[in-house]
Amino acid sequence: MGLHRRDRYAPILETLWMSAEAKEFKWVGTRPVRPDGVPKVTGRAQYGADYRLPGELIGKVLRSPHAHARIRGIDTSKAEALPGVRAVVTSADFPDHPFAYIGPERVAQNFWHITRNIMAREKVLYEGHAVAAVAAGSAAVAEEALSLIEVDYEVLAHVIDVDEAMKPDAPLLFEDMTTRGVEPAPDKPSNISKRIEFGIGDLEAGFAVADHIVEESFKTAPVHQGYIETHACMARFDADGQGEIWSSSQGHFVVRAMTAKLLGISPGDIRATALEIGGGFGGKTIVYLEPLAAALSRKCSQPVRMQMTREEVFKATGPTSGASMSVKIGCTDDGKITAADATFNFQAGAFPGSPVVNACMCAFAPYDIENARTVGYDVVCNRPKAAAYRAPGSPISAFGVESVLDMLAKKTGMDPVEFRLKNAARQGTQMVYGPKLSHDGYIETLEALMAHPDYKKPIGPNQGRGVASGFWFNGGGESSATVHVNDDGTVIVGSGSVDVGGSRASMALMAAETFGVDYDKVRCVVSDTASVGYTHVTGGSRVTFATGIAVHQACNKVIDDLRQRAAMIWDVDVDAVEWRDGAAHPAGANVGDFEPLTIGELAAKRALTGGPIGAAGTTNAGAQAPGFSSQFCDIEVDPETGHVQVLRFIAAQDVGRAIHPSYVEGQIQGGVVQGIGWALNEEYIYDDKGRLENAGFLDYRVPVASDLPMIDAVLVEVPNPSHPYGVKGVGEVNICPPMAAIANAIDQAVDTRMYELPMSPPRLLAAMDANGADGDD
Amino acid sequence: MGPTVQVRFTEGFARAFTGGVREFEVEARLLRDVIRAMNERFPGLGERLVEETTVAIDGMMHETAYFQPVPPGGEVFFIPKLEGG
Repeated sequence: MGLHRRDRYAPILETLWMSAEAKEFKWVGTRPVRPDGVPKVTGRAQYGADYRLPGELIGKVLRSPHAHARIRGIDTSKAEALPGVRAVVTSADFPDHPFAYIGPERVAQNFWHITRNIMAREKVLYEGHAVAAVAAGSAAVAEEALSLIEVDYEVLAHVIDVDEAMKPDAPLLFEDMTTRGVEPAPDKPSNISKRIEFGIGDLEAGFAVADHIVEESFKTAPVHQGYIETHACMARFDADGQGEIWSSSQGHFVVRAMTAKLLGISPGDIRATALEIGGGFGGKTIVYLEPLAAALSRKCSQPVRMQMTREEVFKATGPTSGASMSVKIGCTDDGKITAADATFNFQAGAFPGSPVVNACMCAFAPYDIENARTVGYDVVCNRPKAAAYRAPGSPISAFGVESVLDMLAKKTGMDPVEFRLKNAARQGTQMVYGPKLSHDGYIETLEALMAHPDYKKPIGPNQGRGVASGFWFNGGGESSATVHVNDDGTVIVGSGSVDVGGSRASMALMAAETFGVDYDKVRCVVSDTASVGYTHVTGGSRVTFATGIAVHQACNKVIDDLRQRAAMIWDVDVDAVEWRDGAAHPAGANVGDFEPLTIGELAAKRALTGGPIGAAGTTNAGAQAPGFSSQFCDIEVDPETGHVQVLRFIAAQDVGRAIHPSYVEGQIQGGVVQGIGWALNEEYIYDDKGRLENAGFLDYRVPVASDLPMIDAVLVEVPNPSHPYGVKGVGEVNICPPMAAIANAIDQAVDTRMYELPMSPPRLLAAMDANGADGDD
Repeated sequence: MGPTVQVRFTEGFARAFTGGVREFEVEARLLRDVIRAMNERFPGLGERLVEETTVAIDGMMHETAYFQPVPPGGEVFFIPKLEGG
């Protein structure tokens, strides 16, 4: 990795960081070698599919070939009779659940839906929907058993496109579903699960004083998270009803909770262990295979291992929503936005629950707009149920909003960054979703773009430069950690958070900083559900913030204990002992003439002073700070083919404080790359029967290294005062701007505005032809 | 008796649960007091707040949880709960 941007652009950007809280750290902000590096590069790291147990069986899933069909009957008798088959399960092996939304509206869990998603009951609702599962002594026998299961389907009309699904005559997925959030309640069923609205000010008055108004419609394709590792797990249940699950997931506590609920057993009967994870991006915050493997194992009391193929991942696991939207924004001649209005229609997939609420809340969040409204519709359709994907919902709304802002900037003749600066939200700005913005950070990202040496570089023929921004809330919530001190003073941190993006390193760095010991004296491991307190998923850009607070808390409890032990050894009051640089010191000259007692020296006397040294930290962390990202890119359009080559990409993000800057840069680069794929290539292609035609990475094209320039990550640090080390979340907001930034760059390059994603070569070529644009000679 | 704080709801939430009224003043030191006071005015609302909302206390986001202190004169804004990826 290159030098930290702080070093490289110090003369230019110094003022930005001068505004941040000035505090020097020994370990926070450094780039030690990653602790998971050696096991991963030597192949020793155990991912979901690597885990083995003696006597294990192989589990396989029978999936629906139809996008929408009623199940008239399932006959598993021939499969059960096949030699080598040990267990077969269908929906009849899972308890049904009452129809009830449990939990918050946005993330409400309806187990009537969830149990039908992991195993279809009355109907199959998408191609790939699980219908039955088999455990057998080999994969070949399991596959043969699947072929012997007879399912009697009544094929029904299907609907996939969100606008088609909203029409009154669309095929209905649920014949009794009426739209929530509409008054009076509709008397007819529809595929629209929910309507939601946010608003502030007076829209009519705001648009009345605008000198320029742009109103456009946009469409985005559903895209998959594209994690490299497919879903995989092992489950083992014994005759005493006690079970264990090993899986690659973003949260083993959630695996435990959901599997227990779906099986109708206590979470206390399951111990879940997080294995290494080969990417999740939100898509592994829920369960697909774990309850099936557990049900099969319970039936035959043997371990069952399951792994999806890539085709299964595409056909049966959650992408993020496809969407249609309309965005209307007005501004004055001098570029002040006076009103903004947007409507978002989101595919939820086969069951309600798209991220449309987030889209409504994030859409205008970077801006100070007095009069604004956002309306959202959650729409079911015959695709896999949408799952979380990196800042769920926000990138979709950002595509429409940031495209319209670019059009307005052009109308006013303003630089697009200056246009955004003029309207930028700051601490105290009223948000469309209700409260006032609590933290600064957006303006600083825009200033970082303006100060970037590449922003004013000239561009060539058929090239364009595009700017866009994004917002994400970042998360807090429940996290736990343990800290133990070994005989020699080395420290073990047990984290409840699955390490997806480097949290073992960041937790160890924060622990080293808190104790005042060297980083290589601290080892962080991910503890299983029986060894550490409840910890919510690794998602929502919450781990370094929330689990970091738990680690800090546990370290300080241990430090207090160590001070007590030093006081005991010195025969002084504990208030006369202070902790710094990894050792207990007399708090003043009058305490006595004592040499400092290091953490190792105190650990060596642990039996004498009270026994093992350790503590747990638990938190429900709040006051997290939101994240802002501002980006610009340079692209070149091939006027013959419509191919877009990304030449340069600069991504400035307010990260609060980068605990391990290399990992933070990696998060930013990864988010931008996924945004480039979303912008230019990624989409699901269905045949006329609703069957996916491109269920593999050859035909569903994510960007590869040769498609990409170096993504230049600029770390802007405006520390969060509510975290001991200033942390804000860093994992998600970076995926919000790229789609609009690239669309804006294309418009500048070839004078063609793109309204639909992906902006693939045939679609761009068609738009250029329609526009009469043929590029520069 | 505690100091008063300002309680706010989104339009949709208010329409569904408080007869469309979006702003209230209650006496509270902790978020527990806010939830209890609102539940007294609208029986059953307390559970809705705990289950369905995130709270912004003077703009700072928190999970809706009893232990959270609320400053005198502060704004307590209940918004839909959030989820990330």
